[in-house]
Amino acid sequence: MALDFEDISEDFRRISISGRLDIPGTSEIETKFAALAASSGRRTLVDLTDVSFLASIGIRAIITNAKALQRRGGRMILFVGNNATVAKTLETTGIDSLIPMFSDYSAAEQAALA
Amino acid sequence: MTECVARSIASLAIIAQADEVRRASAWLGQTGSQNGVPANQIGRLDLCLNETLANVISHGGGNAAAAPVWLRLEVNREQGLGEASVSVSNAGPAFDSANTPPKSKATTLAEAEPGGLGLTMIRGFSDALAYRYVDGRNELTFSVHWSEA
Repeated sequence: MALDFEDISEDFRRISISGRLDIPGTSEIETKFAALAASSGRRTLVDLTDVSFLASIGIRAIITNAKALQRRGGRMILFVGNNATVAKTLETTGIDSLIPMFSDYSAAEQAALA
Repeated sequence: MTECVARSIASLAIIAQADEVRRASAWLGQTGSQNGVPANQIGRLDLCLNETLANVISHGGGNAAAAPVWLRLEVNREQGLGEASVSVSNAGPAFDSANTPPKSKATTLAEAEPGGLGLTMIRGFSDALAYRYVDGRNELTFSVHWSEA
């Protein structure tokens, strides 16, 4: 598992996650993920293009941090690129209707900055 | 008339602990591949297996933790059609996860509660689901189908 971030601007952070978001994988990154989401500006783009496996425990971490951001007046956007497996998991669980999900990076960035 | 029938079975016993989940996934990936299950179908089974084991670990209690969890993979390939089934047997309290109503989907992020998506995922990624309670053990079987044409 790897988790990196880049501050695009003072108010916009991109968090990139890669690897398996199963039970052990989520356990490895959830503390850092929560800290990065909590310390970000109002807009956070979570890049899931390199996530090879997304279990419900990984979705749980995403929802928890998205809700925390929203309570602070912020917004989370999910970017999946061509990752059809992760996109299907998010669609199957209905998460794509709660947190905006994009396959196109420019569209994701625009949505985050809107 | 030529009829090709291939049937194979593999099994593994694990402990209901988080660090055993990847061993189970690796076993599924290796044995599934060896028996001709396509990678995308192994991926679907892997998601179902992870969610089933997560439920056993979280809700199975002391009985599930004390006894081995038995995994069984069965592959049938016949006349251009394939089916792979994984059965997960555990000694936790009886729980018919195949017929439990799914959690209703939240319509807003504010009302969404983290968790409870495991059954939704198992139903969403399998083509068939069956449950039985035998000799004090839950057995959940999830299957995927594919065409080899």
